[in-house]
Amino acid sequence: MSDTAIHEPAAPEMDALIGALLHSCSEHVLETMFFAAVFEAADPAASTGCERVTSRLHFSGKPSGDFEVDADPGIARALTAGFLGIEESEVTSAQEDEVMAEFCNMTCGSALSSLGCVEYFNLQVPETTRSEAFAPEVEGVRRAFLLDGGTLSVCLRVDFDRS
Amino acid sequence: MALQILIVDDSPAMRSFIRRVMKLSGIEVEQYFEAGNGEEGLAQLAANPIDAVLTDINMPVMDGEEFVRKMRADGAHQSTPVIVISTDATTHRIQTMQELGAVGYLQKPFGPEQLRNELDRVLGVGHE
Ligand SMILES: [Mg+2]
Repeated sequence: MSDTAIHEPAAPEMDALIGALLHSCSEHVLETMFFAAVFEAADPAASTGCERVTSRLHFSGKPSGDFEVDADPGIARALTAGFLGIEESEVTSAQEDEVMAEFCNMTCGSALSSLGCVEYFNLQVPETTRSEAFAPEVEGVRRAFLLDGGTLSVCLRVDFDRS
Repeated sequence: MALQILIVDDSPAMRSFIRRVMKLSGIEVEQYFEAGNGEEGLAQLAANPIDAVLTDINMPVMDGEEFVRKMRADGAHQSTPVIVISTDATTHRIQTMQELGAVGYLQKPFGPEQLRNELDRVLGVGHE
């Protein structure tokens, strides 16, 4: 395949579909498993340079790709408390790492399962990190959401032709 | 009849979430057994009377596929119901797990109602 073909499936329609799925899957995961509501869409570029808790994973399969989630530290703590059913003051950073990794795994997995053109995939174990000045590592379709007390954004890149 | 449930998942947070949702679903559980991978799951099965197994797929040491395969190969656990809990709902994955012997499949995200329905279905409604 030629180099130009790499971008072919990432047509505007596919990006729009991925964007819509990121929105619906994030919302569904947050409501069902984290007992958190999405208020409205936010600016995906706004988290760059801010303090964020980030979780990333690579997936292989047909197709392969990458997924990234970044959240305000307060949101990461609130989501962890919601998922585990404990008080925010009891949350440890190890629990936060694990729960953000679960969010990453679940949202990526449900978006890929809903995409329709995915034959099979294997999600690698997500890695959670913290940065004082967040810089996105995954270049793909990004969506951000305003939750109670801060924002969370997700980004999915699907490499349709490298499978 | 209160159930003896085995939860196999490498994430302690996920195991704790499953116990919590189980409670919210109203299913009566007598005792939970937990394992962080398939190998530990097999050891729990050998040592305890288990009514139903809830298992993850992606785990270190022994994944969910090998766990279900080995469990089914062991005469003592050929009919113990296994429900797979996974974020992966592709036909490819569901078929693979069913062929190995899983009788239930719960896609993440899920809530109390979905968990209860799936357990009722594989155990037969009125199991309590
Ligand atoms: Mg796992």
